[in-house]
Amino acid sequence: MGISVSRLSKAYGTVLAVNEISFEIGDGEFVSLLGPSGCGKTTTLRCIAGLEDATGGEIRIGERLVSAPAQNLLVPAHERQIGMVFQSYAVWPHMTVRDNVGFPLSVRGMGAAQARTEVEDALRVVGLAELAGRHPSQLSGGQQQRVALARAIVGSPRVLLFDEPLSNLDAKLREGMRGEIRRLQRRLGIAAVYVTHDREEALSMSDRVIVMDHGRIVQIGTPQDLYRRPASRFVADFVGKVTFVALHRDDAAGPWLCPDGTPIALASTAQGGTRALAAIRPEDIRVQPGEPAGDAAADGANRFAGTIAEAHYTGPVTEYLIEAAGGVIRTHAQIDLEPGARVTLSIPPDRIVLLPPD
Amino acid sequence: MQGAAVPMPAPAAARAGKGLSERVLNALYILTFATVLLLVLVPLSALIYGSFRTSAPGSPGEWTLQNYANLASGGVVTTVWTTLWIGLVSAAICIVIGTALALVIHRTDFRHKSLMTALIGLAFYFPSFIVAMAWIILGAPGGIINAIVGDLLGLDFLRTDIYSALGIVYVTVLHQVPFVYLTVRGPIIGMDATYEEAALAAGARPATVIRRVTLPLLAYSIASSFILVFILTIEQFAIPALIGIPGQVNMLATQLYLLCRFSPVDYGLAAAIGLALSAITGAAIWAQRRVTRAGRLTTITGKAGRVKPIPLGRWKWAANLFCFGFIFLALLLPMLILLYTSVLRWFTANPFNGMYTLRNYAFIWESGSTLRSFWNTLLVSGVGAVFGVLLGLMCAYFTLRVRPKGHRWLDFVTVLPFGVPGIVLGLGLLWAYAFLPLPLYGTIAVIIIAFVTRFLPYATETVGGQMVQVDRSLEEAAWVSGANRLRAALRIMLPIISPSIQSAYFLLFMAFFREISSAILLYSANTQVISISIWAFFEQANWGLASALSVVATLIIFGSLVVIGRLAPAGRRF
Repeated sequence: MGISVSRLSKAYGTVLAVNEISFEIGDGEFVSLLGPSGCGKTTTLRCIAGLEDATGGEIRIGERLVSAPAQNLLVPAHERQIGMVFQSYAVWPHMTVRDNVGFPLSVRGMGAAQARTEVEDALRVVGLAELAGRHPSQLSGGQQQRVALARAIVGSPRVLLFDEPLSNLDAKLREGMRGEIRRLQRRLGIAAVYVTHDREEALSMSDRVIVMDHGRIVQIGTPQDLYRRPASRFVADFVGKVTFVALHRDDAAGPWLCPDGTPIALASTAQGGTRALAAIRPEDIRVQPGEPAGDAAADGANRFAGTIAEAHYTGPVTEYLIEAAGGVIRTHAQIDLEPGARVTLSIPPDRIVLLPPD
Repeated sequence: MQGAAVPMPAPAAARAGKGLSERVLNALYILTFATVLLLVLVPLSALIYGSFRTSAPGSPGEWTLQNYANLASGGVVTTVWTTLWIGLVSAAICIVIGTALALVIHRTDFRHKSLMTALIGLAFYFPSFIVAMAWIILGAPGGIINAIVGDLLGLDFLRTDIYSALGIVYVTVLHQVPFVYLTVRGPIIGMDATYEEAALAAGARPATVIRRVTLPLLAYSIASSFILVFILTIEQFAIPALIGIPGQVNMLATQLYLLCRFSPVDYGLAAAIGLALSAITGAAIWAQRRVTRAGRLTTITGKAGRVKPIPLGRWKWAANLFCFGFIFLALLLPMLILLYTSVLRWFTANPFNGMYTLRNYAFIWESGSTLRSFWNTLLVSGVGAVFGVLLGLMCAYFTLRVRPKGHRWLDFVTVLPFGVPGIVLGLGLLWAYAFLPLPLYGTIAVIIIAFVTRFLPYATETVGGQMVQVDRSLEEAAWVSGANRLRAALRIMLPIISPSIQSAYFLLFMAFFREISSAILLYSANTQVISISIWAFFEQANWGLASALSVVATLIIFGSLVVIGRLAPAGRRF
C-alpha cells in the first residue's frame, strides 16, 4: 500500500498551483516534498488528503482511487482513512488529550472499551500517557504536537501526511521530534508524505525527497542524490550552501576555463556546449595558507590561488569568502585566517558538479 | 496501533453517509438563504414600492413620483439639515468625552478603573428612552430644574427647556458616550506599547506622547467610532420623539413617524423619507468600513504591552470629577429621578410636598395589559433572540466556512439591515404585510421578525468574529480523522465558538428588550412590549407609571448583565 500520484493538477482560477506532477511512494517509504513557499508542495499534500479538490490527474491511496476529477470522483477527506499532522497542531481546545486522540476512533464507531485501549497505546507511544486528562491549553507546544501525532496514528491510517509539523517548534525540540516521527512511521510501516521548506529536515528524515518549484517537480532522489548530484542550479542552491562558477571554453571539445581563464579539471564530461556552471560545496574545498607550491597537485585536485575577502567564525568551522578564479568562492575551514591573507584552494574534480548554464 | 484495525466503513455506506451530510448542509443553506432574503428584501422592496404610491398601505392608489418631489419641499429639507447637524454635533461631543474617558481610565493612574468600567457598562445598556424620560422630568419647562433655579432660587435666567434641538444633543451625548468609550477602549488597551515607549525614550513628556503619538495612532479608531455614533444618532427614534416632537424639532426618523401617525397622513412621503435616511446611513456605513480597512494596516499589533500609567498628580480631583460627573448625569441622576417619580401619587418637583405611594408598582401587577407586555417581552426577547442567534450562526458558518455558491450574496444581504434605521424597517414591514397574504399584521410574530431582521448583523458579526479566529485546520483535522462536514461542524466548530453564541444571545436579548424604533409602527394593544408600554404611558403623561415600569425594566437589564458576567468566564475556559 502506498500513494500514487499521476499528472496531478490544481488550478485556482487561471493560476496553476500544481502542474501535472507524478510520483509514487512505496509502502513504508518516507518522502518529503521540499520547496520554497508557493511551490505547490502544501497544495499537493492537501490534494492527497482531500482537503483540496484536485482539478486534474489521479491520486491513489493503496489500491483505491481517491481523486480523479475527470471521472468526477473525489473521495471526501473523511473517507480516505489518513493520519495527518498540521502545522498549527490543530489540537481541539475544547477536548482533553484523551478525547482528542480518541476522536478518529469514536467517529468511526469503535466501541468505547477498545477505543480506550488504543488511545492509551497511542499516548504511551508519544510519551503522553500521564497527561491524558489535560486540556491542550495546559500543554506546551511540543506536547501539543505529540497529541496531534498520536491522533494521526491512532486510527490505523493507510498513509501519514505531515504539513510542516515542526515549523512552530523551537530548534532544539524540532531535532528531537524529527527522530521521533521517523521512528513512529517505521513502526507503522506505512507510506508518509512530509511537506517542509527546511532542507535539513528533508535531508535528515527522508528516504527520498521531491523538490518542487512553481508547481512542478524539479528533481526526485535520495537525500544524497540531491545534495551531491543536483540536476539544476535551483536544486543545488536549495538543498545546501554552494558556490557557482560560470565556466566557458572555446570549442565543445576543449578544456573548461574559469572566468579568469584558469583551466579547471572535471570528472564529469556530460555537459556539452561552450558554457556551463560548476557547483561546488563549501566542505569539498580545502583551504591552506600561502601560495600554491609546485606546478601540479599529486592528487589531481584543482588548485587556485586566492585572497580571503571575508571570514565568519561560526564555532565548528569558519566560513570564508575567497576571491579566486575570477569570482568569489565560499568555503568552510577549521584553520584561522585573517581577511587579506593569501591562500591556496584545492578542489577534487569528482566533487565538482557540472550544470547547464543559466 | 499494533495492527488493531478500525473497521473501515463499507464504501457504499460511506457514500450514503457523505450524501446525507452534504444534503443536510445544503438544505440548511437554502433555508438560511431563503429566510434572510425574505426578512431583508421583503420590507425593503415594499418600502420602495410604497415610495412610488399615492395611498396608504393596503388601499388602492396610483403610481407617482410626487413623494420624491416632496423630499425637496421646505419642511423635509429643514428636517434633513436638523438631522445632519444634530448627528454631527452629538458625534463630535461624544468622541471628545468618550475618548477622554478611555484615556483617563486606561492611560493614567486613575484609582477606580474597574468600578468606572463597570458603571460605563451599565450606562451603555441603560435604554435611551429611559434617559430621555428622566431628563424630561428634570428639564421640562415645569420640571425639577426650573422648579429649583426659577421658583426656589429666583434665578430666572437659568430656566431651561429640554424640548429643543440642544436638548436632543444633550441626552444623545449622555446616551452614546459609553458606546464611544467601548469602541476606543480596545485599541487603547491593545496598542503596542513600544510606540509610546519609543516616544518617551526620544524625550517626550507623557502629555506630549498622548498628543503626538497615542491620539494620531488612534485616529482611525476614533474616526470609525465618530461615524458609527453619527449613524446611531441620525437613526435613533426615542430621544428625538420624546424631546423633539413636543419642541417641534423634527429629525428624519420622527418626521417619518409623524407622517404615519398624525394627519395629514402621507405613507408615500414617509417611505421616500425612509429611503433617503437609509441612503445617508448606508453611505456613512460605507465610509466607516473604508476607514476601518485603511486603519487596519497602521495601528494595532497583537502583543499588548503595558505602558507605565501617567501619574495624575494634582489633577486627580479633576479626573474624578470628570468620570464620576459623567456617570452621575448619565446613570445615577436619571435612576434617582425615576425612582422618585415612580413613588409619587402626583408629580411635584419638591420632595417635601410629595404624596408617596406604591400604587404605580401595584398597578404593574394588577393591570392585565402591563402583565401581557411583560409576557410579550419575554417571548420577543427570550425566544426571538434564539431565532436571531441561530440565523446569525448559520449565516456566519456559510459565508465564512462552507462558502457555497452564492455565499457572497448571502453576506451582502445579511449586512443590509445595518443601513436601515429601525423605524424605516418598521415602515417597510407595515407596507409589506398590508399586501402579503400572511396573517402577520398586528401579531407578536411581526415584532419578532422586525427585531430579528434589524439585529441580524449583530448576531452574524459576533459569531463570525470568533469563527474567523478558529484555525481552519481544526475542522480539517476532524475531516481527516473521519468526521463528515456536518459532524465536524457540530463536534468541533460549535463547541469552540459557544462563548460567542452565548454573547450573541445576550446581545440580542438586550437589544430586543430596549428596542422601540422598529416596533413603534407595528405594535397593537395586544402586542405591546415593555419598552413600548413605557413609551406609551409617558406619552399619555402618566409619568408615575412610566417611571415604575422603567425601574423594573432597568432592574431586569442590570440583573441580566450580572448573569452574563457570571456565565462569560465559564465560556472562556480555553
